Amino acid sequence: MGLGFLAVGLFVMYDGYVAWTAPALSVVPKPSNPGITTLFVGGSLVFLGLVIAVIGLRGSGNPLRIGKQAVSETIRSKAFWRGCIVLACIAIYFFGFWGRIPYVISTFIFLAGMMFIFKAGAWWKIFIISGVTVAIVWYVFGELAMIPLP
Amino acid sequence: MGFEQIMIEVLKTLSFEFILLIAAGVLIGLVIGALPGLTTTMGIALLTGITFKFSGHSAIALLLGLYVGGVSGGSLSAILIGIPGTPANASSVQDGFPLAMAGKGAQAITISRAASVMGTVFGIVCLAFFTPILTELALKFTSAEFCLIGLFGVLISGSLSGADLAMKGWIGGVFGLAIGMVGSDELTAWQRMTFGSPEVFGGIPFIPIMIGFFGIPQVVESMIDEKEVLVAVLDKTKVKLKDIMKYWWVAIRSGLIGVGIGIIPGVGEDVASWTSYGVAKRVSKHPEEYGKGSIEGLVAAETADNSCIGGAIIPLLSLGIPGSPPAAVLLGAFLIHGVRPGPMLSFEFPAFTYQAVAWLLIATLFMRFMVMWLARPMQKVLQIKNAILMPIVTVLCAIGAFSLDIRYIDIVLVFLAGLLGILFRRGKYPAAPLVLGIVLGPLVDTNFRRALQASNGDFSIFYRRPVSLILLIATVVLILGQLGVFSAIREKLKRKKEKAVS
Repeated sequence: MGLGFLAVGLFVMYDGYVAWTAPALSVVPKPSNPGITTLFVGGSLVFLGLVIAVIGLRGSGNPLRIGKQAVSETIRSKAFWRGCIVLACIAIYFFGFWGRIPYVISTFIFLAGMMFIFKAGAWWKIFIISGVTVAIVWYVFGELAMIPLP
Repeated sequence: MGFEQIMIEVLKTLSFEFILLIAAGVLIGLVIGALPGLTTTMGIALLTGITFKFSGHSAIALLLGLYVGGVSGGSLSAILIGIPGTPANASSVQDGFPLAMAGKGAQAITISRAASVMGTVFGIVCLAFFTPILTELALKFTSAEFCLIGLFGVLISGSLSGADLAMKGWIGGVFGLAIGMVGSDELTAWQRMTFGSPEVFGGIPFIPIMIGFFGIPQVVESMIDEKEVLVAVLDKTKVKLKDIMKYWWVAIRSGLIGVGIGIIPGVGEDVASWTSYGVAKRVSKHPEEYGKGSIEGLVAAETADNSCIGGAIIPLLSLGIPGSPPAAVLLGAFLIHGVRPGPMLSFEFPAFTYQAVAWLLIATLFMRFMVMWLARPMQKVLQIKNAILMPIVTVLCAIGAFSLDIRYIDIVLVFLAGLLGILFRRGKYPAAPLVLGIVLGPLVDTNFRRALQASNGDFSIFYRRPVSLILLIATVVLILGQLGVFSAIREKLKRKKEKAVS
């Protein structure tokens, strides 16, 4: 993760540099230039990311071999796949259903589908729980709070 | 504003509607707090989205009720099933669950409730007393001091809440500062890190980020670990007041620890409760009983985490700097509802601190009664499978974030923040500094440049005044201490001494 932070830090620094040298900001006194804090924050992130990366790499042996081993162990674990399925369900609901399928239907499908996949109970229980939840959410948000549900 | 006018303002917000909302907040907080996986921070973030249409003060009263209920509710699951409802109650498991397994569940809940009430009231008294003093002091602060307070807050939060390395806490805080700087710059209107997306020109919205950062990782982790829970049976023992009052000294000491830790920016209830538990064990006459059902241990843990509530709100109201992660989300909620915490609050809403004190006291009163009523139904609720609960939480996360501005980008941000939250948890990076960094990003940034502008680029403005000098020294000492400079010097001196002796 240290390398990830380092990359983000470099981007933040670049953004700071752009602001620092921007012709549009040439009339702004340098101490008020928005790039000054971005450069400082980006620089700190680069430094800390580098330290974390070095700590991680030092003493861990061959980082490539260790990384490969960790990845293969993670892929073989059941927990990893369960996590992926949960994230996939959420992603489908957020990016596939939201705004494309009417809210009540999409939420019912998401709730019932996820409960089925993770064996929450008998099918009729799942249908009742999903239906009641959707009805409550629709009534509270759509009717009482008057939020235009997608 | 005189005392009489303040009282009139306070009484205005103690109508039936407010009391009902506070009761609802406490009830929701107790249930959210008791359900493992749903934290107080997440509850406040979720409810902020849901209550955004409420009038400003009433929504805040409800959220404060939730804060009180959430921290206390976590002890129910800690005692009944041995799983803390919130991180703040992790230390209550040590003695609460063994007591419940020994057939003293009701006794443990009664004692924990009494300790929660004592702790919360102690914190509220400190809030009422110290907030005006700190506000007076803060009114004399300049931009340099505000910048240094913000920076010190992020760093100390990183140092104290870092799981294995302080560096991880700092990196979380600095990353949060970077996120907090996204959007239009307050002084020059320059767009920073927006990728040209007009949706984030106004900055990254805080509440959707908090909902995603705390909610989605919890949903994923709870669905991964589908465990059967063992629920303790509740006895019918009655506990007398004198049995509780035996621990008055433990309660006062823990209350002080809780308030003290609460005032430190971003540290929060979990650190307060573990610190208090550790201190109580160290000074106890019976340390061997700790972890096996010590009432003293339970009182120490529960008093501290609850007194931390008042402590965490003190810097929030007086400086605009939250003392804990739930207080950080509260800050976001305050802003949404038109209340800008900080020194100017005493001019914009002079009675607000006392209104908050009154709401918190009422919330404590409701918590006092509701905990016992809820204990038995919660035995059933705690057996609800995560496979049922977590999809519902996901739906609430989405609709809670969407309700704020009715924008699809907030849903995308919930998901992205969720992925970030998962990475943080897996890498053992603490959440509190990141939250504080996001909240304090604009404050640090704007005040840093304002200070430099006022001094024509002269950096001595950061150490010319006594307060800024103290803050600067504290920040440097904190960094050097965490980097091990002092321990290295100590070690060197020790070796030198040994060499001289030999």
